[in-house]
Amino acid sequence: MLILDKDLCISCGVCEESCPFGAVTMQDGYPVIGDTCTLCGTCVENCSAGALSLSVEKAEQGDLAEWSGVAVYCEYYRGELNPVSLELLGEGRRLADMRGVELNALLFGSRFSGELDEVAEKLIAHGADRVYVVVADALSTFREDLYCRVTVALLRRYKPEIVLAGATAIGRAFIPAVAVTMHAGLTADCTSLDLRESDGALLQTRPAFGGNIMATIVCENTRPQMSTVRPRVMKALDRDDTRAGEVIVLEAGELLPEEDGLDSRVEVLESVAGASGAVNIQEADVLVAGGRGLENAEGFELLAELAKLLDGKISASRAVVDAGWIPYPHQVGQTGKTVAPKIYIACGISGAVQHVAGMQSAETIIAINRDENASIFNIADYGIVGNLSEVLPMLIARVKELS
Amino acid sequence: MKIIVCIKQVPDVTEVHLDPETNTMTREGVSAIMNPYDQHALEEAVRLREKLGGGEVTALTMGPPQAEGMLRDAVALGADRVVLVSDRAFAGSDTWATSYTLEHAINALGGADLILCGKQAIDGDTAQVGPGMAARLGIPFVTCVQKVREVDESRLVVERMMDDGYDVLAVKLPALLTVVKNINEPRVPSLKGKMKAKKVEIERLNAETIAAKADCIGLPGSPTQVAKVFAPEARGKRIELQGTLEEQLAQLAVKLVELARGQEVR
Ligand SMILES: Cc1cc2nc3c(=O)[nH]c(=O)nc-3n(C[C@H](O)[C@H](O)[C@H](O)COP(=O)(O)OP(=O)(O)OC[C@H]3O[C@@H](n4cnc5c(N)ncnc54)[C@H](O)[C@@H]3O)c2cc1C
Ligand SMILES: Nc1ncnc2c1ncn2[C@@H]1O[C@H](COP(=O)(O)O)[C@@H](O)[C@H]1O
Repeated sequence: MLILDKDLCISCGVCEESCPFGAVTMQDGYPVIGDTCTLCGTCVENCSAGALSLSVEKAEQGDLAEWSGVAVYCEYYRGELNPVSLELLGEGRRLADMRGVELNALLFGSRFSGELDEVAEKLIAHGADRVYVVVADALSTFREDLYCRVTVALLRRYKPEIVLAGATAIGRAFIPAVAVTMHAGLTADCTSLDLRESDGALLQTRPAFGGNIMATIVCENTRPQMSTVRPRVMKALDRDDTRAGEVIVLEAGELLPEEDGLDSRVEVLESVAGASGAVNIQEADVLVAGGRGLENAEGFELLAELAKLLDGKISASRAVVDAGWIPYPHQVGQTGKTVAPKIYIACGISGAVQHVAGMQSAETIIAINRDENASIFNIADYGIVGNLSEVLPMLIARVKELS
Repeated sequence: MKIIVCIKQVPDVTEVHLDPETNTMTREGVSAIMNPYDQHALEEAVRLREKLGGGEVTALTMGPPQAEGMLRDAVALGADRVVLVSDRAFAGSDTWATSYTLEHAINALGGADLILCGKQAIDGDTAQVGPGMAARLGIPFVTCVQKVREVDESRLVVERMMDDGYDVLAVKLPALLTVVKNINEPRVPSLKGKMKAKKVEIERLNAETIAAKADCIGLPGSPTQVAKVFAPEARGKRIELQGTLEEQLAQLAVKLVELARGQEVR
């Protein structure tokens, strides 16, 4: 609750001005708190008279000191390790070293074979002190409920204080269920992590409101502190095969001894990879993106040519996905995917906020548009004002010369 | 089949900005809309009811009293019943507390065979409430559903969109799905629907009527706390390319190849 001490209040109105949610209105010289209050505490911080305070009685969840170490869920799916796993081990290593604790990797698979062993070795070479490999036939396909149960059992047994997972389709699917079951706080799609000096709490920073606002979140009173992290924003460590680490193989049946422990009410009938046009644009270093300025579906052929030369992939604005020029998995933006490639080349995209929300963390943004006032130019590092039908063939020819 | 669709009213984010000088959100005239993903969830619920030739679609929201308008829109779009869970005690809820509150509301409504959610709400973009609710209800769930292929009273066959393809899954009911936008094209409200929306009685629940524990809702029940909000760092200044279009493209091509390869071209 937000509490006002009327004796201390000097009626200055700073709380009204500072409220990011417009929830405070001054009436008869005192602040009145409206329904949009999220108890974010900004007014409390800004109140020079100390008249406002937040009263929060939080149930502490046992002894926080029991929890120690950093754990990273490493996504191994269809025989491939998602690159975000190595990025998280890099970041996890940094946090673990700051805390003086261990970094553990969690890896699931159907059986422990040479293949999985190789993956485990790779995780160690990229920073893990220990890899917990959980195996069972049932884990060979991804099922939200099952992955949740296995992860919960691991966390209850090993009690890490920080848990990181990639903000991928898989990570964002089952990690929220883990957090709820663990009674733990979870911050989605973080773009930066740090530790608070005073108490070592994990500071989790993420964009909100379509990237218009950044928020730093802490989970002081609960463990583990959990985050899903956006792919491609953290840096993986270089592979170092001299690093030592331990691989611990656990049978899922041993972890979940109940008779129905490995049952799932979901059955995978079919798994279709790379189906017509479905590509993982989140992993690409280079994205060549097309918008309505392409004028028709054929326009994507030129983009594909440029993408191929740069070893990139193709993405799109919603306008052209809605027009049926390209399938939905290519859509970037608020109602599509969020990407952070090294290079994003926006071709014939106006730069609507909903599109920008999904690509503004690209390292370098290049915009090609015939309208010099297009808002995409406001965020572009390089801008070319011109007609795509002229610009693209010329650019492709130039790039070819250099390749 | 009893279907509950969880819908959320969100600010139209195009209009929300943080003033870098004062660090406050400008929300003058910011309008509230039904979360776009939730429109697809509602549409899918209505289609399933139509396909099965019966059943009931309830739209459920937790939010301030202003959310009533959105609930009326939901009726115009095909919902049979609408429920508002509202209480000052819910203020400051994070996704943990929101999923707790909605789970209790669903139980107070007698449960459902199928619960549909949007993939995520565009204000927070967390995508956590749906899976969180499923975990609490102890029911199976599938996220990012892009198609319902088959439906009967006990089971669904759905396509789950993955990062690099899709999976086809059979899921036993009761279950919870979160949906992405290519699952369907939401209809526009019919005249009859609009008339119904005007007259519909909005059912109300609060912390007491859903038997919520005080330390599980609102700020006290939220493990996450916002420590700070700030404006994102501005991107660097645009680098001007010089010369004719052809010359500019020559420079750009060199830049592109260098950046893509991570080394200088020569
Ligand atoms: C709730 C909501 C969610 C949304 N989510 C998303 C989302 O996730 N992703 C998304 O992208 N959008 C989203 N949108 C839509 C967004 O607001 C824009 O409508 C959309 O991004 C516009 O796409 P566009 O830039 O391709 O088309 P336009 O805005 O039509 O822009 C086309 C551009 O191409 C230029 N052009 C035209 N012809 C040429 C030529 N021959 N050569 C060079 N340039 C040319 C024009 O000058 C113009 O700037 C959302 C909207 C809403 C309301
Ligand atoms: N306050 C709420 N009321 C009803 N449904 C909600 C609420 N918050 C979230 N949801 C549902 O959960 C989904 C995911 O929301 P979020 O986890 O906030 O991104 C939304 O698309 C809604 O279906």
